[in-house]
Amino acid sequence: MNKLFIIAKEEWRYWLRSKLAISVLSIGLILTLSSVFITSINMIELTHTRQALQSNAQDNFAEQPDRHPHRMVHYGHYAFRTPSPLSALDPGVDAYTGNSIFLEGHRQNSAMFADQRQGTALTKLGNLSPAFILQVLAPLLLILIGYSSISRERETNTLAYILAQGTSSFTLIAGKGLALMSVAILILMPLIISGIFTLSQGASVLAIFGFLFGYAIYLMIWVLLILLFSCLFSKNSGSFTGLAMIWIVFCVVMPRVASTSATAAQPFIGKLETDFAVTKQLQKLGDGHNAGDPAFDKLKASLLAKYNVKSIAELPINYKGLIAKSSEAELTAVLNKFAEQRMDSELSQTQFSRYFGWLSPAMAIRTLSMVVAGTSIETHHQFLREAEDLRFNFIQGLNQVHIEQLSYQDDINRNRDVKASQSARVGAKNWQLLEDFNFTVDASHIRLVRSFSAFLQLFFWLITLVFAIKLVGRRLL
Amino acid sequence: MSYVLKQLNQEWRFMLKQKYILILLACTLLLSGFSVFNGLSEINQQKNTIERLKTADLMDRAIAQDKHDDPGSLAYYSFHLTYLAPSNIAFSALGERDVLPWKHRIRMLALEGQIYESDSQNAELAQAGKFDFTFMVSALVPLLIILLFHDLFAHERTSGRYDLLIVTAKSQFVFWATRTIVRFVSVFLCLMVPFYIGAWVSHVSIFDITFLTLCCFIYLTFWTLLSLWWGKHSGSAPKVASGLIGMWVLFSFIIPILGDLAINKIVHSPKGGDIVLTQREAVNDAWDLPKETTMNAFIATHPQWKNNVEMQSMFEWKWYYAFQQVGDQTVESMAQQYRMAAQEKYELAGYVSLISPPLLIQRYLTRMANTDAVAAFEYEKDIREFHRQLRHFYYPLLFTKNDFDKHQLINIPNFDDVIDQ
Repeated sequence: MNKLFIIAKEEWRYWLRSKLAISVLSIGLILTLSSVFITSINMIELTHTRQALQSNAQDNFAEQPDRHPHRMVHYGHYAFRTPSPLSALDPGVDAYTGNSIFLEGHRQNSAMFADQRQGTALTKLGNLSPAFILQVLAPLLLILIGYSSISRERETNTLAYILAQGTSSFTLIAGKGLALMSVAILILMPLIISGIFTLSQGASVLAIFGFLFGYAIYLMIWVLLILLFSCLFSKNSGSFTGLAMIWIVFCVVMPRVASTSATAAQPFIGKLETDFAVTKQLQKLGDGHNAGDPAFDKLKASLLAKYNVKSIAELPINYKGLIAKSSEAELTAVLNKFAEQRMDSELSQTQFSRYFGWLSPAMAIRTLSMVVAGTSIETHHQFLREAEDLRFNFIQGLNQVHIEQLSYQDDINRNRDVKASQSARVGAKNWQLLEDFNFTVDASHIRLVRSFSAFLQLFFWLITLVFAIKLVGRRLL
Repeated sequence: MSYVLKQLNQEWRFMLKQKYILILLACTLLLSGFSVFNGLSEINQQKNTIERLKTADLMDRAIAQDKHDDPGSLAYYSFHLTYLAPSNIAFSALGERDVLPWKHRIRMLALEGQIYESDSQNAELAQAGKFDFTFMVSALVPLLIILLFHDLFAHERTSGRYDLLIVTAKSQFVFWATRTIVRFVSVFLCLMVPFYIGAWVSHVSIFDITFLTLCCFIYLTFWTLLSLWWGKHSGSAPKVASGLIGMWVLFSFIIPILGDLAINKIVHSPKGGDIVLTQREAVNDAWDLPKETTMNAFIATHPQWKNNVEMQSMFEWKWYYAFQQVGDQTVESMAQQYRMAAQEKYELAGYVSLISPPLLIQRYLTRMANTDAVAAFEYEKDIREFHRQLRHFYYPLLFTKNDFDKHQLINIPNFDDVIDQ
């Protein structure tokens, strides 16, 4: 055990003497620190802006004057997606999906204003998020520091000497690994601190722990890869070239191969196109604006029978409001069916790309990171569903007001003159029916369960590499 | 001359014996082929989508035109497809098409309420980026070149042949130059051959092919010379490669990220949400405003209808479309600023790319393929022009009392004509 620490200490002493290792280490620390700092500030700002916009939209709605309730159905409302607290560490898809939705009657709008659309397009290759730095750049830094850890001893012929002194090859490898792992933890430090900081922003301990644990395993995989290559090659240059190639394949090539293959293998039909099918289905339902539509004859007959009256004018409730409400419910059922189909196909496309985690640990950590941070496509889908619930509830609330508080006679005469249009209104106090909307991501345990297969992929890599090193380490000389 | 040829021949045979180099070349060919193949299939998907949308759009509009008889309802229920078709060479640079919209269906209602809708692609995949030829050239090829050239000198040095080679070579320059040229030409061909096949399949013009070849040639030469220069003066192979990969990281990640931060600090843009919110308020308030207020605001920009704004009932379509237009007018300057901000960002990004070769070549290739932000700006302009034509087609039908005949719908503006202009 003692020997282990001596070896690790010696490795550190070697690094501290080498210009390259020192500069690489400081670059790594500066990068992670600044990325953590800038992304956190960014995300706090975004959260505040979106919360302000949300309450602003709520106030605007509540402050509307007396109106015909259906006017408010078309006046509509907005839902904003406040970022999850852990998005300070991995913003994920936040900039790539719209973050606000306009909610109105009879329609499900798509999310608008993805930040990326108004961006500079400079960050296509990489961005400043801590997630990117750790997934892509940290492995490279570790390679630059550690590629020669074993091969160096071999090249300078000190390996035989060390082993002859009674140090077992596993102690040597483990000691070098310990030293490299301490570098990895050093690079991870800003994230750990920032993770603790997000606790005050409402992140759960479980999620932060899972998140950091995932990254620790990921960096450990790279440490093992570096040790493996350093053991395998007799020369520093061989070890370096091999590791560089592995890094290119895992971190630069694979993520894009995954996304490209997923689009090719599971083509996704956009909303614009599925909307045609939606329209076709909706045409069978009847137009809720037109109470005379034959599609509502059955409903009319049952109502007349229920209240035992002869004409809709005699009904104690507003028939037009009732039609609006029942047609909104039917229409929403159709819209939801298609929306769910679309989300399903988007999700299966994403899942396809996530299988590439078996081929590259960088893909596995990418998935794990986004899913646990609550910035993956699932969270966006959750936002879409919650926004839809909000929409449906306030629209049906308004339709209920329409049914109960507006007389049918006033309603049908509203376009006759100015006075008639004045009496076809309901009081502004009814606009209080809007629920407060404050988007929060799924509970942390749900997100952790969701990231199970990504964890599995990382453990697969870890175990495979441990075995590989055991195999190679047996014959170091 | 024959000495050079003999040397070339010798280097060629020497290279074929080096497994490491052959693997790198095979990787280049394989990845380049993959990028081209995927680019082609992606563009094919996009083209098919547009074709399907065109057919469905025609059918959908025919149903709407069949169902409704008055110009007001016709304008309300007819949607029109607009699109930005991919260019022939778009397969090589898929560009911003995964983020920026290239298809929209619009109708005669206020445009500001419609134009920001986006039929987006899978966000998680868009975030990872696409593996297209531009990515291959700008990001991957430099790494492959670094791996190919960083140890040109160091390899011979560490294996102890360096001095011998220099002494025995008739001309030192010719010796290193031929070795460099053989490797360079091989990697260049491995990169370009798949592109040429793709270009041939999608009928790319000779001019575009030549221009792209030239861009790639200059770019690859830059990285090769950089690798050689760095390798000549530095020590061991891993040290050379570390330095070069460091530069690659600087060019591909650090400079763009810093540039992005700076540009986002410099350029201020109105929030998109505010535009839509303001526009929405304006349109909704119009229902309660006196009709003259709306009509006056409308005829201020459309004086040709000033004698036709009298209304007979509480609701008339001409008033409805007038307040839609007035809604757009209220946010016109904001929307203008929003667009200007995007353009300014694009222009400033151009200056940043001057100090980052990967960005520069990305910019050239996406510009040539018409898949960048500029293409999206132009597309938005086309949509606005088409919406204007659509409004001016319906206004006479709505504002004048002439009998409306459905046959007049034959003259309805067509988005394809807008593109052709």
